[in-house]
Amino acid sequence: MARKHIASIKVETEENEINLTPMLDVVFIMLIFFIVTATFIRETSIEANRPDQQESMPVVQEDGAILIIIDNNDDIWMNGLVIDDRAVRPNIQRLHAENPDRPVVIQAEPNSSAEKLVTVMDASRQADVYNISITAGS
Amino acid sequence: MEEEREESEINLTPMLDVVFIMLIFFIVTAVFVREPGVDVERPVAQTAVDPGGGSIFIAITANDEIWIDRREIDVPGAKAQIERLSSENPEAGIIIQADSESRNEVLIAVMDAAKEAGVADITIAAGD
Repeated sequence: MARKHIASIKVETEENEINLTPMLDVVFIMLIFFIVTATFIRETSIEANRPDQQESMPVVQEDGAILIIIDNNDDIWMNGLVIDDRAVRPNIQRLHAENPDRPVVIQAEPNSSAEKLVTVMDASRQADVYNISITAGS
Repeated sequence: MEEEREESEINLTPMLDVVFIMLIFFIVTAVFVREPGVDVERPVAQTAVDPGGGSIFIAITANDEIWIDRREIDVPGAKAQIERLSSENPEAGIIIQADSESRNEVLIAVMDAAKEAGVADITIAAGD
C-alpha cells in the first residue's frame, strides 16, 4: 500500500514539469520560415543625381560643369564633337585636372539608351568625378 | 539509480537559447524586399558599388515598361507606388534596374517620380 502511494506521487511531480515540445515545434517552424524568406539581395549600382530644374539650368549655362550630351542616335557629344565611348574617360580626366571642382552633367536625349548613359557615368567615375547629374534633353 | 536516469535525459535549454537567438536575428534582419518581378539586362559598369541598406527596386524593361512590386505601372502611377513603398520603409533608397535597351526618357521620368516622392537616394543598377 505504502509503495503504491509513493509511486503515484512520483508520477504527479513529473507531470508538473512544463512540456516544452510544442513550443519548440512552433519556434523551429518560425525559424525555418524566416531563414527561407530571408532574401539577401545584392545589387550593385551607380549613384545618380537628378537636379532640380531651377538649379540645373544656370550650372550648364555658366559653363561650370562638364557637359556631355547623349543624342537620340546614342552618339556622345563633348565640346561640340562626337567622341568614342573610350574617349570619354580621358576627356573628363583632362577637364577634371584643369578644374577639379567641376561636376559632370549628362544631358540624355529621350531616345538614347540606358546602356550609353551608364557607360558615360562609369567613365566619369573612373575619371574620379563622382558628382554626376542627369538632365533631360530638349 | 534514479539520479542516473534523470541525467541521461538531454537538456534542451542551451539549444533553446541558440534557437531563440537565431529566430530573433532572422526576424530583425528580415527585410521584405519587393522585387520588381521582371529580369532586365543590366548595363555594364566597372565602378558599380553595393549601395547597402534596404532598397526599393524599380525595373524598366527593354520595351520601356516600368515594373514595381511585380506589377507593371505607367509613369503617372509610379510616384504613388514609390510613395507607398517609401512610407513602409522610409530609409530605403531606390535602385532603378534599367535595361540596356531602355530609353532614357523613361529613366528620367522614373527618377523625377522618385524625387517627387521624396526619395533622395537614387541609384542606377549596373553589373560588372
